[in-house]
Amino acid sequence: MAAYQLLIIGGGLSGIAAGIRAARFGIKTLILEQHSLPGGLNSYYLRQGHLLETGLHAMTNCAPPGAKQAPLNRLFRQLHLSRKQFNFHEQIGSEIRFAGRSLRFTNDPTVLEAEIGRAFPEAIDRFRRLKQLIAAYDPFAVVPWRSARHFLAEHLRQPDLVDMLLLPLMIYGNAEEEDMDLGQFAIMFRAVFEEGFFRPGGTMREFLAHLVQQYLDFGGELRYRAPVAEILVEAGRVIGVRLAGGEVLTGDTVLSTAGIPETMRLSGWPGERDRYIGRMSFMETIALVPRARVATLSQGRTIIFYHQGPVLQYRRPDDYLDPSWGVICFPGNFSGLEPEEPAQIRVTNAASYPRWKALSAEAYGPVKEQWTLAATMASEEIIGNYRPSIVYQDSFTPVTIERFTRKAEGAVYGSGVKIKDGTTPWPNLFLAGTDQGYLGIVGAMLSGITIVNQHILR
Amino acid sequence: MSRDEIKDVILEIIADIDEEADFASLDAEAPLRDQLDLDSMDFLDIVMELRKRYKLQIPEDEYPQLATLTSCVNYLEPKLQNV
Repeated sequence: MAAYQLLIIGGGLSGIAAGIRAARFGIKTLILEQHSLPGGLNSYYLRQGHLLETGLHAMTNCAPPGAKQAPLNRLFRQLHLSRKQFNFHEQIGSEIRFAGRSLRFTNDPTVLEAEIGRAFPEAIDRFRRLKQLIAAYDPFAVVPWRSARHFLAEHLRQPDLVDMLLLPLMIYGNAEEEDMDLGQFAIMFRAVFEEGFFRPGGTMREFLAHLVQQYLDFGGELRYRAPVAEILVEAGRVIGVRLAGGEVLTGDTVLSTAGIPETMRLSGWPGERDRYIGRMSFMETIALVPRARVATLSQGRTIIFYHQGPVLQYRRPDDYLDPSWGVICFPGNFSGLEPEEPAQIRVTNAASYPRWKALSAEAYGPVKEQWTLAATMASEEIIGNYRPSIVYQDSFTPVTIERFTRKAEGAVYGSGVKIKDGTTPWPNLFLAGTDQGYLGIVGAMLSGITIVNQHILR
Repeated sequence: MSRDEIKDVILEIIADIDEEADFASLDAEAPLRDQLDLDSMDFLDIVMELRKRYKLQIPEDEYPQLATLTSCVNYLEPKLQNV
């Protein structure tokens, strides 16, 4: 008899959410997390006394407690979390900034509509019709991949507007280059443009701690510093896992949130692993700058999605970094947040994993410094000068991402090819998380919940 | 369990799933899902909670029998006789 009914590989958002669902209904569950902290792709670290998050941990799908059918509130009910206990901080406002064009948006969808009316008056009626089409589209229907780009081009007939609407959604979590699946687009359009961004009360550390506690309260077990080295298979079924230290743990079912390539490697899953290695990876630079200076630079913006140059190329760059497009975030600019001193400025740009991987140990440091500077300077073109005011700066590259998350080639958005039903060649091994297909913090939780509901609780 | 006890358990489970559930004007003969604005995931959780508490397996094709409060009690009464 197996020691556990369910073994979950990965204590990130999808793993913890999955664990809560299983433990809530009495399934004996163990989550195995490789690091000493939960969070996975949405984690945090301490450097020189500063608590830094490993990404902009903005959540989507902001909705008030009373909106029962809003995805966020459904999620909370599924996890048996009290929505009323959570204090959210909504974004102050974001901007999509292309050369010569700007669109602001907030969690009030009428703002974006008004902005489009101002910047693209010839397309506003088509935008309104597009919104209706998106609202009527069922993004969860099992249908073949369909180009969001073509759909937008066809309905808006305004190429700049198409790119400006696509960029924030792609940056938020699109694993594919240049385009995205229409179903995914519809989900993200609602998540970002209609419901909007927010941060949980407190830091991601507190939010994660709350989720972990919920899981433990339901009787779930969790082990940190427990990297899985192998998924054990016998007679066509998965029987458990072997940890890096050699310990074997048996389970009736295994749920992996490590991504398809890593799960393939761990289980000996036959197939072309390369097909599932995403090409999108990033370099992120975090600068700590006096709060007063950040206030001037940010001008009340929370996130700026920018593109400078002729053609938007949402793809892996040829060079180490593509500074021509990216995102500048001011994590402090969420309403009601306790101001931090110093405040943060985060700049993220697409980066080429192969380039970074090929660097020798000696070359890595200097090249990282060079591109940190390039990214910083690119952001200064958008928001103004701040280098002289930087108190502390840190950055991480695709190689860093790969090392800490085990996402092959630092592909934070995972595989371009998702496995929506979370199944694998084995009847009792499932996938959740980025490579199942729902993205972002809310997406990851929904993924864990959905896969457990579909395959383990039935 | 008596019919009243069963009714209380169902309402308690629903209240546990949905902290905003308001039973004040609940019509026992009308569909629960519409009156309480529950979705299919919430409904499944009611079934899951019953399974967890009473080791009760409810086949999917019998879910329609749980549509109203009265029909829930009717359905569960024989199954929870010895509880």
